[in-house]
Amino acid sequence: MRLSRRDFLRTGSVSGIALTLSKIGIPGAALAEQPSFFERETLNGAEVPVRGRVDGLAKVTGAKLYVSDFRAADMPGWPPQTSHALLVRATDASHVYDGLNLDALGANARPDVVVTAAELATSGVRVPHFYEGNLLCPVGTTPLYLGQPVALLLFETFDAYDRARTALRDHSPLRFGAETGPLPGANYATLRFTRVAGADGAPDVYSPLRDGWLNPPLEDSDGRPIWQPGPKTDEAYTRGAALGEDIRSALASPDAGLLVLDRNFETQSVDPMFLEPECGLAWYAPDKQALEIVLGVQSPYEAASAVAFMLGEAETAIRPARIDGRFAYIGGGFGGRDHTPFPLYVALAAVFFPGKPIRLAHDRFQQFQGGIKRHPFRIRSQIGIDKTSGRIAAFAGDHILDGGGLANYSASVAIVGATAAIGIYDIPKVDVTTVAEHSHGVTAGSMRGYGTLQTMTALETLIDEAAVELKIDPIELRRRNLLKTGGPSMTGNPWTVSVRTPEILDKLEAHPIWRKRSMHKATTVGTLVGTGTACCTKDYGTGADCSLGRVELAPDGSITIHTDSVEMGNGIGTAVARRIEAILGRAASAVAVARIDTYDELELSTTGDPYTITQDQQDAAAKNPRWVPEISTASTASIGAHVGTQASAQAARIIFRFGMWPAALALWGIAPADPRAFLFEQAFWQGEELILSGLPPLAQADVAAKAHEQEGVTGAIAHAFSRWAWAQAAFPIDDMQWTADIDALSIRRGSGSYKLLDRSFVFFPPTDYNRIGTSFTSSCGTVVRIEIDRASGALHIVEAYSVLECGEVLVTELVEGQAQGGFAMGVGYALLETLPRFEDGPGNGKWNLGDYIVARASDLPIHNLEIEVLPPVSPKEPPKGIAEVVMIPIVPALLNAIHDATGHRFRSLPVTPDMIKGVLT
Amino acid sequence: MSAISLKINGKDHGPIEVRDDLSMNDFLREVLGMTGTKFGCGAAQCLSCAVIVDDPDGTSATMPTCTAPAMNFDGKSIRTVEGHASNGQLTALQEAFIRHFAFQCGYCTAGFLNEAQVLLERLEHQPVAREALEQTILVALDGHLCRCTGYVRYHEAVRDVILAQPARYLL
Amino acid sequence: MKSDCKRLILAFLFSCAAIIAANLMAGKALAGSLRLTLAPAENFAGIANAKAHSLALFAEIGKVLTSPRCMNCHAANDRPRQGDSGRLHQPPVFRGPDGLGLPAMRCPICHLATNFDPARMPGNKPWLMAPSEMTWEGKTLSQICVQMRDPKLNGGKSLADLVHHIGDDELVGWGWNPGIGRTPAPGTQEQAKALVQTWVDTGAECP
Repeated sequence: MRLSRRDFLRTGSVSGIALTLSKIGIPGAALAEQPSFFERETLNGAEVPVRGRVDGLAKVTGAKLYVSDFRAADMPGWPPQTSHALLVRATDASHVYDGLNLDALGANARPDVVVTAAELATSGVRVPHFYEGNLLCPVGTTPLYLGQPVALLLFETFDAYDRARTALRDHSPLRFGAETGPLPGANYATLRFTRVAGADGAPDVYSPLRDGWLNPPLEDSDGRPIWQPGPKTDEAYTRGAALGEDIRSALASPDAGLLVLDRNFETQSVDPMFLEPECGLAWYAPDKQALEIVLGVQSPYEAASAVAFMLGEAETAIRPARIDGRFAYIGGGFGGRDHTPFPLYVALAAVFFPGKPIRLAHDRFQQFQGGIKRHPFRIRSQIGIDKTSGRIAAFAGDHILDGGGLANYSASVAIVGATAAIGIYDIPKVDVTTVAEHSHGVTAGSMRGYGTLQTMTALETLIDEAAVELKIDPIELRRRNLLKTGGPSMTGNPWTVSVRTPEILDKLEAHPIWRKRSMHKATTVGTLVGTGTACCTKDYGTGADCSLGRVELAPDGSITIHTDSVEMGNGIGTAVARRIEAILGRAASAVAVARIDTYDELELSTTGDPYTITQDQQDAAAKNPRWVPEISTASTASIGAHVGTQASAQAARIIFRFGMWPAALALWGIAPADPRAFLFEQAFWQGEELILSGLPPLAQADVAAKAHEQEGVTGAIAHAFSRWAWAQAAFPIDDMQWTADIDALSIRRGSGSYKLLDRSFVFFPPTDYNRIGTSFTSSCGTVVRIEIDRASGALHIVEAYSVLECGEVLVTELVEGQAQGGFAMGVGYALLETLPRFEDGPGNGKWNLGDYIVARASDLPIHNLEIEVLPPVSPKEPPKGIAEVVMIPIVPALLNAIHDATGHRFRSLPVTPDMIKGVLT
Repeated sequence: MSAISLKINGKDHGPIEVRDDLSMNDFLREVLGMTGTKFGCGAAQCLSCAVIVDDPDGTSATMPTCTAPAMNFDGKSIRTVEGHASNGQLTALQEAFIRHFAFQCGYCTAGFLNEAQVLLERLEHQPVAREALEQTILVALDGHLCRCTGYVRYHEAVRDVILAQPARYLL
Repeated sequence: MKSDCKRLILAFLFSCAAIIAANLMAGKALAGSLRLTLAPAENFAGIANAKAHSLALFAEIGKVLTSPRCMNCHAANDRPRQGDSGRLHQPPVFRGPDGLGLPAMRCPICHLATNFDPARMPGNKPWLMAPSEMTWEGKTLSQICVQMRDPKLNGGKSLADLVHHIGDDELVGWGWNPGIGRTPAPGTQEQAKALVQTWVDTGAECP
């Protein structure tokens, strides 16, 4: 039922167009007067002068690195001049679009080519299913949503483009006619999650995992789902919904022992506001029928596939036989560059201006106008708590989220938000409905927190309110209700990773900010003081996550790494390099991220949709040793550490075990039958030397040279897949069966060529895991103290503490950095950022950072923000993803602190000084 | 149109014909191909496009390039992120930014680097008391937006550079 | 008949002033997308009562004073505002000892000698905040008036200085030529000067 993050054909070639044929750049090639794209994007982690990020040197010296840095002249082999495209977007979505009027443009500002819906209509261009809706609004129709693209203007010269963009910003070229009002659209998702636990540990009476996710079959005349089961609803829905309605009835007329709170909460629309606006560069060479495209997205494989699908049946003149996708470093993502339609327009600009390298780049106004937004939610929560025990007996939630104009990830966000509705708690009776609605607002999609930020903010403020009502300490109330290791979550499955919430609550309780909260309140004069806490958990992974990795060891010991993960600031290149350094003994001298083209040796193929495939289909498909459920997925959902490093790390382990270890044995003179020959797991690296107790240390370069000399494994390419558990396979290497959490493998011996290995055994996680809500999850708690100026309502964050857990810490600074950045984004969401949803909002093209306020350093306790990372439960605990969860508890903790200071509970975001002032006077 | 000449990172450029309505940001990025200087908002609100302008009187200041015409830089001497390191040697600030993991995506780094460098140079002439240091750094850098880091590590890195040479920067 | 008409117009103008004052009390400059006009000083000559004449003139001047072009720099808390909505200036900048900003962010660094319309960037030489004695934000038009005309409250400015400031100052003059994306102050600087001069000549009465 979970909607696919990508639901079109996926093979090495999409729609008959070969994808990404370019090979690794050849350093020192005589042709290259300047570095190739891939040379620029491949960074030397070993030459960074101090031990920092792999991209540290490039980023402090202003190296050409980001997608927005590239022009045609930077691309060897391309014509040198860059042309420019301007994407005109609708500023109105309630009147009929009557056409384009470019009269305001002087002769020196005229586009050379204008692409409108009319041109697309006759071109055979197809809209990828994920982006269903007109790519450009046709004349005579009302735009589907504010900010919908209407026309692409293509300019040969920068000067003409530059003049035009200024002129059109001040005088919109779009003419509108009759008023129609916003166009209606079907809901993107309507789902219900109901769970009734068995009594005293008995199996669940009903659960989403076992009995399914409920889809209400009927809608009323306004398109709203009818949740009540009735004579016309099918049996499956009726059974679950009846149990849900029972929960609601009990909450509506509680017995005396139950405290019931029934509250509404509203969240706002916000922009991810990554600092580099979306951008792309492309060149369509018709003589070669090749489309070369440079993009900066979180989902490179999807972007290339979507472009290929779009052009796959286009008329000959604009249909490439080959697409070379090159994916650059990006200036921030936060989810907002995962599955955006932007690359489609870059490709259209190129094919409609054949022979001319062309750049499409948003300015900030356009990024606000067209970029993916976070969903605003309207949330009703009902919670019933036993007054004596403080145990939560039942919870009912109703979510309505505004998905804006295109479906994008709305259904998925609705699901993730709904299945996070009870946060860290164990509640025996839960009934949550969710509706993702269409509107004429700017499209909403993926953004850090992904629905859970909204629903857990509502939950954690509700828990705080309940604690006050029950006169139970808020941390104690949480503790009494925690979901414990092995206990069933809201969907009926247990979390399969460590559950650290008890320790996190202990840490929060023991922290001075919490312990001294009354003292600060009593002793601070002149301002209102409040302390608040919250504890949240966030799944990492999507239930269908892939990792591609290619690792090579040179005879001199230097290491090359390729990964399909995208570097958006999260430090994936550094994390993967550190993880491999621990295995192969040296910092990588070449780290290439966002590569989707260097794993051809695996000959991967896929069919079906990993989210909807049946068990029988999966079992049949898995007989093909090249088949995997999915080839490459977006860098998203906090999967960097856990998934993004997986394939490369597994490849490195194979190089060590079958290349470096046999070489080391040879250098030590240990015979194959010697018991010490099996101690490879006890060997470790220290300062580029391989250490095994009782033996002389070996220089890493010597081991590498010997591995090559012996024709040991010196290169490996691997693919990994996770559906809330890793796919596992065995491969025949050196007369043994090597079992690992990967599902495809190709190895190289010495300096030979790669040999693809057939898996002798494979286990893909069962398809019914697709009904799991959350299985991999990490938790974070925050306590914060604020002061509020009575006169102005101005809020000052005095100090804060966040404690989190992430299994194995690959790079401490990266983890802490995520928590510090998440804190800032949480503050912005709670107190500063907001976008009107419709006509006055960003779709009007007038929004910039003067009106949209994000947190600055002066808004934050930069020297009074403490981050604590719990040590892993065991040295072997794998890394867990934390990039989202670190943002979430900040928001409810701030709201709870505001209540503590003012006695008022705000139930909409953001909470501004004017609002606070309003309740103080 | 007018022809401008200017010095960038010590190197003379021009005379180059520029349109009166060409921004300095586009001059650097589109005309010269110097893309180390970023474009963030186009409205001087995020300052990711800021460069250092060196005044003949010996003082320096950062200046956003997205809201200023290129013409305005005729005869000026500026420094950009590409010009901080010399002969492959990073400045103390650049090293500190790397060591502290000060940035994440790094798109705001050029602006922060320029601003912090100007601050260091100002403190050399107008040192502040140790107690005022954090606030001085805060005020100096507050115009620069960063969406990834929460600013903590930038500020710690700059403070570290200053505290490493207290006699040079502090009263 | 004619004077009746005028009275009607005056009544309307006064009600405008009241609305403006209400906006000021809310701490916000009037957000205007309309280009407002100013009535010339001579239109008020028919008001026989000297005090009423002066008050009417000030009400008209008030349309200029409360324009976001003026209010944004006569802002409170040493922090200017910007745009027709009068939002707080982004990035955050502060008056500084000379009204030209703090050492790290000086007004003339961004605000050059002229507007740069391609980026909607306003400019004038000089570009600085009004002195703190002349903060208007959060005050009623009546309070602004009292402050303006009293040298003890306005930083030692005479009435003649005021006429010169509003009528001849280049930065004030920018308010009528603010570039694309900003609503100009009502009328013209010449008209404003004449209104202020006549208001002074008629006793500089405050509402």
